[in-house]
Amino acid sequence: MNPSDFQLFQTRRQFFGRTALGLGTAAMAQFLGQNEAFASSAALHHTPKAKRVIYLFMSGGPSHLDTWDYKPKLNEMFGDDIPNEVRDGQRITGMTSRQKSLPVCPSKYKFTKHDNNDSGVWVSELLPHTATVAKDLCVIHSAFTEAINHDPAITYIQTGSQIPGRPSLGAWLSYGLGNESEDLPGYIVMHAKTSFAEQSLFGRLWGSGFLPAEHQGVLLRSQGDPVLYLKNPPGVSRADRKVQLKALEALNREQHREFGDPEILARIKQHEMAYRMQTSVPELMDLSGEPDEVFKLYGEEARVPGTFSACALNARRLAQRGVRNIQIFHRGWDAHGNLPREHESQCKDVDRGCAALIKDLKRLGMLDETLVVWGGEFGRTSYCQGKLTKENYGRDHHPRCFTVWMAGGGVKPGITYGRTDDFGYNICDADGEVLKPQPDKHHWTPGTVHIHDLNATILHLLGIDHKKLTYRYQGRDFRLTDVHGHVVHDIIA
Amino acid sequence: MPKTCLHIAFAIVIVAVLGVPKCDAQDKINFAKQILPILSDKCFLCHGPDGGKGETDLRLDSFEGATAGGAVDPGEPDDSEMILRIFDEDDPMPPEESKPLSDVEKELLKRWVKEGGQYTQHWAYVLPQKQTGSIDDWINKSFPENVDFAPQADRATLARRAALILTGLPPEPDELTAFLDDKSEDAYETYLDQLMASTRYGEHQARYWLDAVRYGDTHGLHLDNRRGIFPYRDWVIRSFNSNQPFDQFITWQLAGDLLPDPTMEQLVATGFVRMNPSTAEGGVIPAEFQAKNNFDRVETLGVALLGTSFVCARCHTHKYDPITHTEYYELLAFFNNTAESPLDGNAYQYGPILKVPANIKAWDNWTQLEKERDQLLKGLDKNIANAAVELAKSLGHWKSSNWKATKPIASTGERPEEKQWENIDRLPGKNGDLPGKTDQARWVSFEVEVGSKQNLALTFNSGPGPELFLNGQPEPLQGNLASLTLEPGTTKVELKLIGSKRLPLQVELSSLWDALREKKNWDSLAPQQQISLLADSGGELVDESKTKQAAELNKKIESAQAQFTTTLIAKELPKPRVTKLLERGEYDIPQGEPLNPDVPETMGAMSDELPRNRLGLARWLTDADHPLVTRVLVNRFWQQVFGVALVRTPEEFGLQGDHPTHPELLDTLAVEFHQSGWDLKKLFKRMLTSRTFCQQSKWRPDLSDPENKIYARGPGYRLDAEVIRDTALWASGLLDSEMGGEGVKPWQPEGMWSALMHPRSNTKKYVADQDGREFRRSIYVYWKRTSPHPMMTLFDAPNRESSCVRRSRSTTPLQSLGLLNESQRIAAAKALAQRLIAGGEEDQARLDQLFLLLASRKPTDSEKEVCLSLLESSREKFSKNLDDATALVGQDVNDEAEVASWTQLCVTVMASDIAIRLN
Repeated sequence: MNPSDFQLFQTRRQFFGRTALGLGTAAMAQFLGQNEAFASSAALHHTPKAKRVIYLFMSGGPSHLDTWDYKPKLNEMFGDDIPNEVRDGQRITGMTSRQKSLPVCPSKYKFTKHDNNDSGVWVSELLPHTATVAKDLCVIHSAFTEAINHDPAITYIQTGSQIPGRPSLGAWLSYGLGNESEDLPGYIVMHAKTSFAEQSLFGRLWGSGFLPAEHQGVLLRSQGDPVLYLKNPPGVSRADRKVQLKALEALNREQHREFGDPEILARIKQHEMAYRMQTSVPELMDLSGEPDEVFKLYGEEARVPGTFSACALNARRLAQRGVRNIQIFHRGWDAHGNLPREHESQCKDVDRGCAALIKDLKRLGMLDETLVVWGGEFGRTSYCQGKLTKENYGRDHHPRCFTVWMAGGGVKPGITYGRTDDFGYNICDADGEVLKPQPDKHHWTPGTVHIHDLNATILHLLGIDHKKLTYRYQGRDFRLTDVHGHVVHDIIA
Repeated sequence: MPKTCLHIAFAIVIVAVLGVPKCDAQDKINFAKQILPILSDKCFLCHGPDGGKGETDLRLDSFEGATAGGAVDPGEPDDSEMILRIFDEDDPMPPEESKPLSDVEKELLKRWVKEGGQYTQHWAYVLPQKQTGSIDDWINKSFPENVDFAPQADRATLARRAALILTGLPPEPDELTAFLDDKSEDAYETYLDQLMASTRYGEHQARYWLDAVRYGDTHGLHLDNRRGIFPYRDWVIRSFNSNQPFDQFITWQLAGDLLPDPTMEQLVATGFVRMNPSTAEGGVIPAEFQAKNNFDRVETLGVALLGTSFVCARCHTHKYDPITHTEYYELLAFFNNTAESPLDGNAYQYGPILKVPANIKAWDNWTQLEKERDQLLKGLDKNIANAAVELAKSLGHWKSSNWKATKPIASTGERPEEKQWENIDRLPGKNGDLPGKTDQARWVSFEVEVGSKQNLALTFNSGPGPELFLNGQPEPLQGNLASLTLEPGTTKVELKLIGSKRLPLQVELSSLWDALREKKNWDSLAPQQQISLLADSGGELVDESKTKQAAELNKKIESAQAQFTTTLIAKELPKPRVTKLLERGEYDIPQGEPLNPDVPETMGAMSDELPRNRLGLARWLTDADHPLVTRVLVNRFWQQVFGVALVRTPEEFGLQGDHPTHPELLDTLAVEFHQSGWDLKKLFKRMLTSRTFCQQSKWRPDLSDPENKIYARGPGYRLDAEVIRDTALWASGLLDSEMGGEGVKPWQPEGMWSALMHPRSNTKKYVADQDGREFRRSIYVYWKRTSPHPMMTLFDAPNRESSCVRRSRSTTPLQSLGLLNESQRIAAAKALAQRLIAGGEEDQARLDQLFLLLASRKPTDSEKEVCLSLLESSREKFSKNLDDATALVGQDVNDEAEVASWTQLCVTVMASDIAIRLN
């Protein structure tokens, strides 16, 4: 039995304890198996380190070289062609493959070493706020992927496959974790505003693929109704709706009496939950109860719906209300040209909110049980795309290494994990030697974190064995990590 | 009448074990049903078709493999290593990390070895055999003892059920009444025939097919730009409506372009081959997407027609099914020769494309015109025609020397006289050939000289709003084609084109008679050329009256063509691309020798006589000797009718799929479907007239069969997204019955697209239709693959990025919000309220009408009570709060409070399971 089935069984039985008239146990089990919407986490594969996850997804591929991965030696080689042995046959996107040269491009930003619980972590001046929580972060320098274009890469990291059609990470979590909240959906997705919306996002990134559709992420929107169709039509009050729902329930109950299908009872429950959501969501979105100190933490921009800070604050509020699966997508990290201008703006968008979220969770005693993940779908090249000057440059997509950080939720705080060569191009072993052959998804190499490993680790922290959370489709027991993935125990506290 | 089963209500029969057939200890083990699924699921990962992980040589997927090393010693379980190991407590097989065997499974394996350990083929790869017996016979046979069919549903329930299943809408009240009043014996059959004759039938049936082929109106990846392929969708609808034999339906889609002299429809059908999501993301590597596009095609073919997941074999030989890594790429080779670029250029017209009628009415009109044309041509005396061609040739009509055009000049801007003209060498063939920016208006001008009166065709590409001037006088234009009738002398032609980033600006001037330069006689001309010549001949070919008719017809044809749109089609490259096996499915690691197109051996060989191209593939698929295709299709049709399929994994018929609940029935239906000439309507009729179908859908107290595995009750389930929406629009009278055309955009919440899309995407802005199109049936709703309409996805519609042959049926709070609050539902409820109010004075009569529409019956007493009570409280509220009433239903109604009260009631009943379920 899948863990969720098991939980369902539990919760559904409670649910229908009174109403499951005349239904055989087998019927109930079957029915439960098909409708897991109300599962709770009664049964997981192992004791979870984290109760929930907040995933801050930086869509477009942040430059690890200008944020987290300090490469001072690049300065000495400014403008030189990147050595062939560094590239080592790496395929290059069509955007730079026709460039006459691939000049080494150091970051123009100042890096400072911040104390953590290990030997410190270098952080660029673009992220002054995040740097203040260095002691809480596990900074992974050795994340990698195979995909070199946005659509395949983002689909890969979020669904485990470069080709669309699979359930998203969030949907798998929803399937595995169920929903604890009685009046909010279990999987919430937010889109934060950006000045550089230079990539697309796709429904598939929070879609349910071949999992039942109730596992798709529910968008919490900053425009119009925060949840689709949340508001009653004009002229219909909450009291009117209550009367209406009473009638609806009576009609549905008669249908159930007539046809006996438990699905009808499930629908009655969902109508009730929808009714509760009509107050719980506005209550969630209403920040008036938040003290001023909160806005000092997140910044005044947190009062503006849709900003990253506002989304981060919402994430914390959702976490407090029992939502276990929260994602914020922030676009605009795809800096092929004018990287400084774009990344300065991008970092400004998210920096404060990231730090505030961690401090806030910590302040509330929730960080230990909340896993926070920050990262994009790939890194950026250490050679320049387009014209290189000291002040301005661009960087192409780079799959061989990029930086992801995690915090809270059972991750070792204040460490760095994995390292890259002096070019920030290849992953190295502990001695600083470039790994040969290149690490791949087929075998885990210590010190590396393939995106499947990252996802396996996220699942693990939440109490789920990525090899056991499967769903039978097309005759195959599919899982998020395909046939790969390794839990990186090195970073788990 | 079926006898009632209520008297045995005390004995509850649990049907949990169904799927495993009834078999007592004496029955011989059935390898394919009982053993192979265990071996596949628990052993093949290491001992299967791909030879395992290299740690073992033992293969358990054949008798030879199993017996070679003594794993199986036939008849001697105690000497069989396999049996010893599975019972070994210290070192059991399967090893710890794998899925364990249950005790029952272990015993089964032991018994099987004892009985000889014989292998037979997996059921789905054995040709289906027709058996005698009706649907009901086979269903009845599987009933446990003391179980009989449920009583027959009443006629009204049946009428609604059949209408929803066949047409996706409840029955029209007058049709319902006529059926209920029809006391003749074949009343029900007549009723079914009527439903299937309705154009709504095709609109509903097409939807399932579009899910399977992942039809979308956008490219699906990256920018997710618009794609012009809706004529394919329209063709599918028309094809279902005309009950096109399904083998033909498949053949045209896979290979319409490879048929001799393919018709427009056959070419449109090849949109199937072009349905893969595509990209033109900056920097993508074409070879990578050539491979990915083909993966997608192979895997879609697998799910949609073969019930086989090929995904595993993309990277390695299949773990469970006998499909090798090489076979995957041999199958892929069929698709590797299509002419389109692997990258879509973000273009709406992602070539090759074809110009075709833009909606279903236009198709009907076009078909009619073609008929008229053929008739007219048939009436011609061929000898006269050929003689006339000779005569015309001698007059030199088609010689370009007969007309002369000067070198063209070009300019930009709104009016040519204000602009500087510059010389260009030739008429433009692509964007760069003209000066100016792509989105500007551009002018092309030249002079034509003719010796005698002549017709020349001017064809061009332009954005909306081109203009034509002849000797300075504006000439009306219909579309991007003009037939110039030129008097002797010189004519100045000025053509204004509107630039478009995605459209190559092309201009071409040609004589109708040019065709005769290559085609030497009348018969070798295409009908359209013949009719054009006939129309243009000025009587040189035949008599004046025919010429006149032809000219009139030609005018109609030209004006129809002027309204044509474009659609993506498949076209074969003259020289095939090389296909090689890709190691681990990586496009940049091709291995070994080039592969020829071929089919997986386990599914039956491909006859030597068949061409090794898509047409050969289609012939193989539709051959009588194919074990899978008819089974896979029939299974899905069964699922459409009964809500659940005979093979509960319609996407997977391989070893890991479910066994059919009623294998003999599936086989019989499959063979009969083939023998009937792939006649779908006949198949539906057979299913819908069965006693099995006509049962009441009430869950039985005497049976515990939640999945309805034995079909001892009729179908009952929540309706699909499209049906829920369409029913509301239909009941309210808002439904726009117009068929086909570019996808329509009903209202959706602001910002759904812009929050996701790249600034350069042409689908970042959603502009809802407001001209009535927004009330078309959901099959026509614009399908943006990365963000389909939320009222579709909330109710389990797939995003159409990949093939879907079985939708989930979820129940969520968001559905509740959608049902009760979404604007279009409120609009429908209001219109329905007005319709009810207009229809009768009495609440009672109005209520009856409401239930007649949504439930095909009258309300029960308690329903009446609930509804009237809701109505009363709404009236009380709205009469006191007229502003609220106005807010809800607007000011354009007579009695706001009354309309608002009824609107509330209609929303509620439309949201209830009375309306959104089929029973």
